Amino acid sequence: MTNDNLTKLLVFCVLFCAQKTSIVHGSQALETKVALLLHVEPENPKCFAEGMSDLTCFWEEDEERAGSADQYSFIYTYQNENSSECAVTALPAAGGKRLYFCRLSRTQLFVPLDIRVFRDDLLIHNRSLFIEVVFLLDPPSNLTLTSTGTQGQLKASWLPPSLKYMGDSMMYEVSYAMAGSHIGKVEEVQASSELILRGLQSGTKYKVRIRAKLDGISYSGYWSAWTDPVLMETIPGDLDPLIVSLSLIISLVLTLLSLIVLMSHRRFLLKKIWPIIPTPESKFQGLFKVYVFVSLEYETRYEEWLGHSTGGLWLRPAYFYSEEFPAPLEVLSEVSLGPALPSSALPPKASEALGEEEDEDKKLKRVDSALMEGWRETPQEHWLMDQLQSIHQHPAPRTQSSLLESHDAYVTLNSQNHSGEEPLDDILEETLPLQVLFASGRTSSESRSDLGSLQQSSGSGRLSSQSSFEYPNHTWPPKGSGYTYMAVADSGVSMDYSPMSSSKIDDIGKGVIYTNEYKNEIPAHRRPIGTPIHFAF
Amino acid sequence: MLLEWTKPGLSNPLRPICDLRVLKHFIEEARDAEAAMLACKEGRGLPEPVTVPQTKVDFNVWERKNALEQAQEVQSGLWLLNQAIGSLRATVTNTALHSHIDNSLRNIFSIGQVLRSLNIQEYTPPAGGVAGGEETWRVSSASELLQVHVNFLRGKVHLLLSNTPVCHQGSS
Repeated sequence: MTNDNLTKLLVFCVLFCAQKTSIVHGSQALETKVALLLHVEPENPKCFAEGMSDLTCFWEEDEERAGSADQYSFIYTYQNENSSECAVTALPAAGGKRLYFCRLSRTQLFVPLDIRVFRDDLLIHNRSLFIEVVFLLDPPSNLTLTSTGTQGQLKASWLPPSLKYMGDSMMYEVSYAMAGSHIGKVEEVQASSELILRGLQSGTKYKVRIRAKLDGISYSGYWSAWTDPVLMETIPGDLDPLIVSLSLIISLVLTLLSLIVLMSHRRFLLKKIWPIIPTPESKFQGLFKVYVFVSLEYETRYEEWLGHSTGGLWLRPAYFYSEEFPAPLEVLSEVSLGPALPSSALPPKASEALGEEEDEDKKLKRVDSALMEGWRETPQEHWLMDQLQSIHQHPAPRTQSSLLESHDAYVTLNSQNHSGEEPLDDILEETLPLQVLFASGRTSSESRSDLGSLQQSSGSGRLSSQSSFEYPNHTWPPKGSGYTYMAVADSGVSMDYSPMSSSKIDDIGKGVIYTNEYKNEIPAHRRPIGTPIHFAF
Repeated sequence: MLLEWTKPGLSNPLRPICDLRVLKHFIEEARDAEAAMLACKEGRGLPEPVTVPQTKVDFNVWERKNALEQAQEVQSGLWLLNQAIGSLRATVTNTALHSHIDNSLRNIFSIGQVLRSLNIQEYTPPAGGVAGGEETWRVSSASELLQVHVNFLRGKVHLLLSNTPVCHQGSS
């Protein structure tokens, strides 16, 4: 028993609540419509139709002047019919006003309707209208936003009001804006229940709302209230292909520009990245000498040597390699180009090199007898000295000869700056220029021409016009007429060899004069120990 | 039988005219005529009252009627209007109004053609010449007559044309 009662009570409560909710909802809708019409309609009473056969009319009065509802009478008359009266109800409104309502539940359309409002038999309002042109619909329902799959688009769809006969007169206004922004766009659509919004930004949240209106030749009305806004985010944008291609082109252009800049300044950059080991000859003036080496044999071993030398172009400390592969070198003469310095102040590097090559001392003396015999003594020497001194700006002191007392193959470091010469055409800017030194067995004129030609043939411009020639006290025995000479400038990092000239062409039968410009820092250490350096002529 | 075959016009089936923009055009021209009549100050009154159809539509009532009844109502109303506006033409002297009235008459005839294309039965007037009934009333002014004309087209004719089963066969 109690269970049944409880169930009934529960059902009653639910129904009551539902009804109340609908009433509340309905009254809220009514309030909205009233507010809307108060804004839009100038005539009194303001009337609107919500469906096919209803009409709601109302008017507003100030609180102090307002009377009770029964003071008012609402008389309406259809064309060719008798008048009828509608019951008036009053409701309080905001702002100290009162609203009086009249609602008709059965209406006739397409026929003029006369409305007269009396207050205590005094006509206060008079209006004639057609009911089918004062429609004020509820906002559309079920507004949903979906993505179309395309960039910058959204599809809005809704449920049209369920009114018969009025589909072709239905008109909608869709208002959309970016979430948070007040500036939006509006689009109108006629007799449709969906719309594709275009031209939207990708990856942005949009707020869309819609309202409806009847706007036809038969039916017409006011704009409904806006629906609650619906939010939806558009699909994130892909990279615009135009932007991607433009940025690629720009980066390519920038890369090319940077490459060009790099290439044009490669010398400078390499100097910074791979600096040349500084040579200390600036600190130790006069300690560095240039030695002239004379070929001892006509050998094709020069080829081997050349083959070694072409292995690499990179600078390597020559002193290092000369330690590994000391070579037998016959020092013909020694030239000191810097100011006089104590001979004992040899740089430690050079002394190391010298030290290691002491055992090769004897090898140095091994000379081709044929060549040695051809050595002309004093006249040649004097001539050579004269030649060299004539172009030397700074007369070299002859006291430097003591440096060669050990007969060793010195690592020579050229302290001469090739002033006035063309700059080195590669990265070895700090490579010291070659000294033009040669002793020739020919006549002076030939020698001169040789000197001249030698100078000219030095493509790298390392030949200096200044040189001093100095014989060490311990001079080598005369070699003979078949000597070919080349000047070697050893900067400690590299050894530069001048093109060779031959003093005795007759003796050159076996070998070939290699007049190519070359740098020899490497070949010395690549040769196996004991192999003499031969400069083939 | 041979005469049946050679009967002109009626045997040719017309393509259904479902586009309501045609009716919209007629309604607008009827409105122009009413406005012109209101603007004109002379010749407002009719020599004698004319019978015109009722234009009011109570949807509850209308929907209870079947298609045939609706069609009859529309057809008889159009016939009455045709008679009334025809008689109006004789009384009006203004040439501008004449063109409006002629237009209205042509439009009524065109609506009849549209209804025929939709297989709506034609109205045969009663033998007495004057149709009465619930759905008629009498007007005595020209502006009222033209107003009735407009409202009739907007109302019943429009309702009938927008709900013809022939036109809704493909969509519904």
